[in-house]
Amino acid sequence: MDILFISKYIVVIALIIMMLAALRASAYKSTSMGLLGSSVVVVAFAMALLVGGDLYNLGFYKDISLALILFGFVGTVAFAGVLGGEDK
Amino acid sequence: MIEYIQSALLIISAVLIIIAAVGFVTLPKNTKNAVYARIHIVGIFDVACIIAMIGLGQYLLAGIYFIIAPFTAHAIANAYWKKEDRENNLDLVTVEVEPDYDNPFIHPKDKMQVFESENSEKLKADDRFSVTTLEIDEGE
Repeated sequence: MDILFISKYIVVIALIIMMLAALRASAYKSTSMGLLGSSVVVVAFAMALLVGGDLYNLGFYKDISLALILFGFVGTVAFAGVLGGEDK
Repeated sequence: MIEYIQSALLIISAVLIIIAAVGFVTLPKNTKNAVYARIHIVGIFDVACIIAMIGLGQYLLAGIYFIIAPFTAHAIANAYWKKEDRENNLDLVTVEVEPDYDNPFIHPKDKMQVFESENSEKLKADDRFSVTTLEIDEGE
């Protein structure tokens, strides 16, 4: 089998492991951990879509991945701003 | 040849992602500043994603993510510091600074309190100069 093909599958498996770890970590006590975990899950999912689109030659996966990364960033920063509140 | 380089980049990123995932979960909960440590671990995951994007040939996406990843980490750390860490651990807010007694322009609080106390040598010296007030009788 093609080594590039295998390595793409290895990346997808690693991303799934990371997603599960982030889901576990987002259930910890602190609110910031939930924010951090959700941000990691979004990026890992976007990355998995990127690899999947490359595996099956689906061009629109790349657009979805770009949108997820950008809006995930915006959502994380916005929620962090609300969580932090105004400085005293 | 390019195929091998791409495969190497993808495998390196996969190894980094697995290491980050294991570290993310196995970090002890009672560790001091555990949230900051986890944010640091997510930094490794971010770099692994950037390497994987380069391996897949998505250079623009890698560049964008390279720029926005530190902003995310800083936003989360800042929110945690402002709302949870600083309010739960009040000893972080008070900073103890050793006063410099040799500096003639700095007057430490404890030194001034000694001066202003009743047994102060300086106040006793000031008692030599007493202020008298004249009583004016408006009837005269």
